[in-house]
Amino acid sequence: MSKDAHRSTQLKEEGNSYFQSGNFVGAESLYSKAIIADDTNPSLYTNRAMARLRLGYFDSAISDCDACLKLSGGNMKAYFVLSQCQLAINDYEGALESALQAHRLCAETNDKSLAAVTNQVLRCKKARWDEMEKKRTREGQELEKEVIALMEREREDMVNSCTNDFDRKQVQDEWDQKINLMKETFEKSRKASEQRREVPDWAIDDISFGIMVDPVMTKTGKSYERASIMEHLRRHPTDPLTREPLQPHELRPNLGLKQACEEFLEQNGWAVDW
Amino acid sequence: MRMAGLGPKRLGKELSKITNSLPPGITLVSADNLEEWFLDIQVLDQNPIYAGQTYRLKFKFSNSYPIEAPEVTFVKLDNRPIPMHPHIYSNGIICLDLLGSQGWSPVQNVESVCMSIQSMLTGNTKNERPPGDEEFVRGNRLRPRDIDFYYHDNNV
Repeated sequence: MSKDAHRSTQLKEEGNSYFQSGNFVGAESLYSKAIIADDTNPSLYTNRAMARLRLGYFDSAISDCDACLKLSGGNMKAYFVLSQCQLAINDYEGALESALQAHRLCAETNDKSLAAVTNQVLRCKKARWDEMEKKRTREGQELEKEVIALMEREREDMVNSCTNDFDRKQVQDEWDQKINLMKETFEKSRKASEQRREVPDWAIDDISFGIMVDPVMTKTGKSYERASIMEHLRRHPTDPLTREPLQPHELRPNLGLKQACEEFLEQNGWAVDW
Repeated sequence: MRMAGLGPKRLGKELSKITNSLPPGITLVSADNLEEWFLDIQVLDQNPIYAGQTYRLKFKFSNSYPIEAPEVTFVKLDNRPIPMHPHIYSNGIICLDLLGSQGWSPVQNVESVCMSIQSMLTGNTKNERPPGDEEFVRGNRLRPRDIDFYYHDNNV
């Protein structure tokens, strides 16, 4: 194992200034050199992962996150970057799991990234729902095509088995009607799934106006998104409604509401962008 | 790591909400971006000080909205005077605790602010400016939120 912590820190700081100026190629290579000098510093791996994420090297960024997590188990940043990479390669389940880990760590340590991480949780849920919706729509369309084709074949057979024009005409009309009815039925069910979408007020945070991921309750019984109320309390330690003093440790998770919001989002992923 | 601000998303949602419906006497004039909005307000009862008039409010939002209050002032146009009120200076600056850093709360919003200002006018009986208005208007270079108002009379 090589370890030259001093040299490594120097390289890392150089890398950081490259990163800040938007030179991710330069930053990535400096972080790599820093890791060669000292491969025991977890933050070098998350920094390189962030540079690689920006460059679109998702697989190697994921390896960096894994390496960081091996060195330091509860690393919030590693989970956060990991989630972004997993989302980029359409690993929705993995991305959500990592985002929730990052969120848990953020909430525990009152980290300032809570709002950004909460957003990432929502993005993962939305992406997963979009994917499922696409699949549902595709399956519905395929089923419709198949059913109509079957009915048309049946109509053909029935018409062909008729012995005179009068019967033929009657059977043809009868089946045309059935086929139309079937198309209408499919059309109606499509409309039901595209109907006007509304998010119930109980799921909405009155500060961000977004759907809640981790609602916490104040003394008054009112719930807010944890990231929003924490952002408010950082500047004004007061209850938004009553203006009475309020400290972060007085907030209580609202588990029932959290579960209700989760279930609502399972069925209505579009609500993330509402 | 850069913070994802609440502001733009929340303002977008407020805008779509108030585009659909606003209480009587309040109308959206323009909201071309997420930094500056204009709304017109009217006083609906028969208060003779404000009868028949329409006033224009300007909202300015910082990146920290709604954690920080918006800057709300009246603007003067040919057909939009600055309303007479003992808490409204003739340059349009409004002295209202809701808009100061102590009185603001992030659960307030554009609609609730307009309604508060509307009711502040409705309840007023004094056809006058704040004491020291002329001097204040001449000398003031501060942004409204940095002015340390003295809320001297809570009955107004």
